[in-house]
Amino acid sequence: MLVMGSGCFRFRQFGKGLLYLLSELAFFRFFFGFGWKYLSHFDTLGENKQFKVWNEELQIYQRVPGDNSMLILLFSVLTIAATILFIYLWYLNLKSAGELCLLDAQGRHIPSFREDLRSLLDSRFHITLLAAPVMSLVAFTVLPIVFMVLIAFTNFDSNHQPPGELFTWTGLSNVTDIFLGNQTKTHTFFGVFGWTIVWAILATFTNYILGMLLAILINHKLVKLKKMWRTLFVISIAIPQFVSLLLISRALEPMGAVNIALMKLGWITAPLPFLTDKTLARICVVVINMWIGIPYTMLTVSGVLMNIPSDLYESAELDGAGPFRRFTNITLPYMIFVTAPATITTFVGNINNFNVIYLLTRGGPFALDYYQAGKTDLLVTWLYKLTVDQHDYALASTIGIFIFMIVSTLSITVYNHTSAVKKEDMFQ
Amino acid sequence: MKKVLSLFLAAALIVCLCACGTQSGQTQQSEQQPAQNEPAAPAEEPAGEPVHLKVWGSQADQELLKELCEAFAAEHPESTWEFEYGVVDEDDAQARYLEDPAAAADVFSFPDDQLLILVQADALYEVTRNHDAIAAANAAGTINAASCNGVLYGYPMTADNGYYLYYDKSVLTEDDVKTLDGILAAANSAGKQVHMDISNGWYLASFFLGNGCQLTLDADGSQICDFNNANGLAAAEAIRAFCNDPAFITGDDSMLQGGIGDNICAGVSGPWTSASIKEKLGDNFGAAKLPTFTCNGRQVQMGSFLGCKLLGVNSQTRHPVEAMMLAEYLTGEQAQLRRFEVLGYGPSNINAAASPAVAADPALSALAEQSRFAISQHVLGQYWTPAEAFGAELEAHSEGDLQQMLDQLVEQATAK
Amino acid sequence: MSRRKKLTGIALHVLLTVLAILWLVPVFWLVLSSFREEKGAYTSYLWPKGFTLANYQRLFTDTRLFNFPRWFLNTLFVACCCCVITTILTLMVAYVYSRLRFPARKALMNVSLVLGMFPGFMSMIAIYHFLKAIGLDQTLLALILVYSGGAALNYYIAKGFFDTIPKSLDEAAMLDGATNHIIFWKIILPNSKPIVANTAIKAFIAPWVDFIFVSVIMKDNYKNYTVAKGLSTMVDKANIFEYYTAFCAAAVLISIPIVLLFIRLQKYYVGGVTAGSSKG
Repeated sequence: MLVMGSGCFRFRQFGKGLLYLLSELAFFRFFFGFGWKYLSHFDTLGENKQFKVWNEELQIYQRVPGDNSMLILLFSVLTIAATILFIYLWYLNLKSAGELCLLDAQGRHIPSFREDLRSLLDSRFHITLLAAPVMSLVAFTVLPIVFMVLIAFTNFDSNHQPPGELFTWTGLSNVTDIFLGNQTKTHTFFGVFGWTIVWAILATFTNYILGMLLAILINHKLVKLKKMWRTLFVISIAIPQFVSLLLISRALEPMGAVNIALMKLGWITAPLPFLTDKTLARICVVVINMWIGIPYTMLTVSGVLMNIPSDLYESAELDGAGPFRRFTNITLPYMIFVTAPATITTFVGNINNFNVIYLLTRGGPFALDYYQAGKTDLLVTWLYKLTVDQHDYALASTIGIFIFMIVSTLSITVYNHTSAVKKEDMFQ
Repeated sequence: MKKVLSLFLAAALIVCLCACGTQSGQTQQSEQQPAQNEPAAPAEEPAGEPVHLKVWGSQADQELLKELCEAFAAEHPESTWEFEYGVVDEDDAQARYLEDPAAAADVFSFPDDQLLILVQADALYEVTRNHDAIAAANAAGTINAASCNGVLYGYPMTADNGYYLYYDKSVLTEDDVKTLDGILAAANSAGKQVHMDISNGWYLASFFLGNGCQLTLDADGSQICDFNNANGLAAAEAIRAFCNDPAFITGDDSMLQGGIGDNICAGVSGPWTSASIKEKLGDNFGAAKLPTFTCNGRQVQMGSFLGCKLLGVNSQTRHPVEAMMLAEYLTGEQAQLRRFEVLGYGPSNINAAASPAVAADPALSALAEQSRFAISQHVLGQYWTPAEAFGAELEAHSEGDLQQMLDQLVEQATAK
Repeated sequence: MSRRKKLTGIALHVLLTVLAILWLVPVFWLVLSSFREEKGAYTSYLWPKGFTLANYQRLFTDTRLFNFPRWFLNTLFVACCCCVITTILTLMVAYVYSRLRFPARKALMNVSLVLGMFPGFMSMIAIYHFLKAIGLDQTLLALILVYSGGAALNYYIAKGFFDTIPKSLDEAAMLDGATNHIIFWKIILPNSKPIVANTAIKAFIAPWVDFIFVSVIMKDNYKNYTVAKGLSTMVDKANIFEYYTAFCAAAVLISIPIVLLFIRLQKYYVGGVTAGSSKG
């Protein structure tokens, strides 16, 4: 059974057999023509450094190319993934051959290629629909993540960069470095982590509550031109964030537009250190995030509000409930029920909210007691700076894994306990 | 009943593996030449086959780059040349290079502070052909900046990556700008401000370097930084006094460019702001070396970094000899003069720098004057963030213990 | 009572006006800067000394260094493709999770939910090398693939919507002999305009605002930049003084199509997020 598809050919399933055969050929071509070259070095991530030889005739140090640890790791991951896929395919091939034998022995109808294809549109429809998305997911998300996770167990940093230097496996040293080895890094990690959580909570709930209030305000029955108001708030969304945030951060400079305006108005005498004072900077990023986020929440919530059955309010009004009671007893519970899944994703989005922090303060004001980080840095911006500025890929990956673990446990737990998710079949 | 799934997987596998398969042949040639014991023979081009070279330059340099490359091709008719131009800003050169050395340019420009990382990654060919002529033609400081452990790795292209003082002649006299105290006194009496980006390690260092502190690398590439000794403490006291002066204002170059002539009367920056400041100040444009500052009651000249932009030849190039010829041409005397004419960049070439046009440029002569107090920038990446943190604390009028802050700064900057 | 109502109404409008002004001040500041005659990112005064249209003209005439028209078309092309591909993929995934029951469904849903939370730019370099291995580096196609590659992760809003379309519709169709395939195209999609609009808008906006991914994928290939990447080079240290006002003008131009799209599709957008739970 070395030739895949032979079972299918035997039972005249030519189309399918051909596909099996082709995939086998393609795999072997890939594996021996491309994959093995990298996979064979997977254990050490390369042994031969690039080195140089003096060439008297040309008067140069000629380079003899060596291994490239990064490409070895990357394409090993790809090759392993392809191999797993292939083994699975092999297993399916054998299994289908066995089934065909059984069908044949029982004298039953053997499905034609056409019939197989047709079932893809009906009983196997989920495979048809999921194939493309899942493939792109594997290629652009899963494999790169596996690669990055593996980086965390190497010493890939500025002293070990291809092509001149190789990096190799170092086990758990990056993890122990963060938590035990280096006091500054430990301090930074927990400091940044703490602020990340505080930020995510503040950013999510200020936007959520205030966005809801804004939506209620616009939807109030006495307000005219509802559509116009909504549009006015939405305009701010349309400006790309890197533009609006650059503008705002310039305006908040010591002698920026805001300070000039405040001084002209006579409200302050000396410029306020908006983005340079630790506390003020933290307040600023939260407030500016409200400017960014509230219009989104407002849009989302407006629709929900319009769908709250009005008889609920009428009966509450008859019972003598004031506006505040109506809000806490009807609007809020209803909203929470409906928007819970979206809120969880917003929360997670805020933990990873790179744009607002990086474009506004770059993490600053920087702190002497932190390792390459500032007082408004989130884990994700810290990680970005470690990769881009310090080339400390291994440390950055380790932090990335931690963010991922925290965030994923949190969201899976909450998400699967949300009523909207539990009762997904409710309306069907 | 997994048949259908398997069908699909088979098809999927074929599609993606075929795609990889067809490409793998090419990839093999271009970046994964199997390690051999003998050096690969340099691509000996049969006559007529064009030499393909990719050149990176910043956006502003593109036009001139094309012009110079074409002139180079005209001077070397023995081969046919094909040039490809990529836009990569000098600041990003190292990052873009390291992401994929094989796809990087054969000849690319970068500031000298990236040299160390690039050399560690064995990204650059040593300058071995015509080494002595190149070393003799360029200012000693730029050759030093382009070298690592005594080996020359880059072709100096400009020598203007430094900073000095710009001032408004209608507010400050030539005497005022000799000392920081003089500048501040004049600015205060005129109700104007003095700009310096203290929360930037590059500018911050000038006080420390002036007062005899060290910021350099030792033989095995570790950072040496002694800002926390007695000299450093005295310099830090002076920085604190400057930051607490009512006339002091911080901010980036844009602040200086926008504010000079209005609310700002003097500021520290480099040649890249020269044109815009000249435009704003007109006849009142003044440029001078950095002032002296008061340190423990004495006047101490501020130091500075003097960096340069270099051209490097990618160690992965298929045409090392040709790429070196091009790099040498692009950094030669004629090319540097032309670069000064078109873009105003200060030449590193000694003859070009001595030409009357360059000598008459007030900004570049201020830079040249300051360069007597300047050192090359041998700084590792980890210095900048703690230095910025230190500067930012002083800008925010922190009352913190300077010695303790300096100790933290040094600890982080020299961390292994 | 009616007097009180009138007062409340006025108070509400005043409050809304104040808020709207707060929200529009940065926008106004952007537009103002885009017409400013004096160059530079910073002025020591608030109101520009002169106004000009040159910043806009420059974007279209001075294309030697900053080829704005080309970048604009690149982005438009990428955005349209992403919009179509992402919408289709997202809807397909959401439909599968909502309507079809198969083993590993729950596990797949959880995995998809979680994968989206890994910081994206960690994997950029890996993606770049994969794309290079299949010969797609530095192309617009690569950008389209990358932007729409994560489509399977953003299924939850659309899924919530599909959950509310009564299953009785499907069943009726099935009695008439329709396959799942036909049900998806003929019954579910026509009933899902809001969610289509919602997904499409989001997918359309993404390429206009990302500049980090573009830097890694396009590297030095200046011709294939998108506006976001191009604009971010305009505010580099070397260019910011000369090009800041042009940068503002370009930003205004980018936001116009997005605002129009928003106004046009606002009702869908509002409906889309929420209709999923409208009967809660």
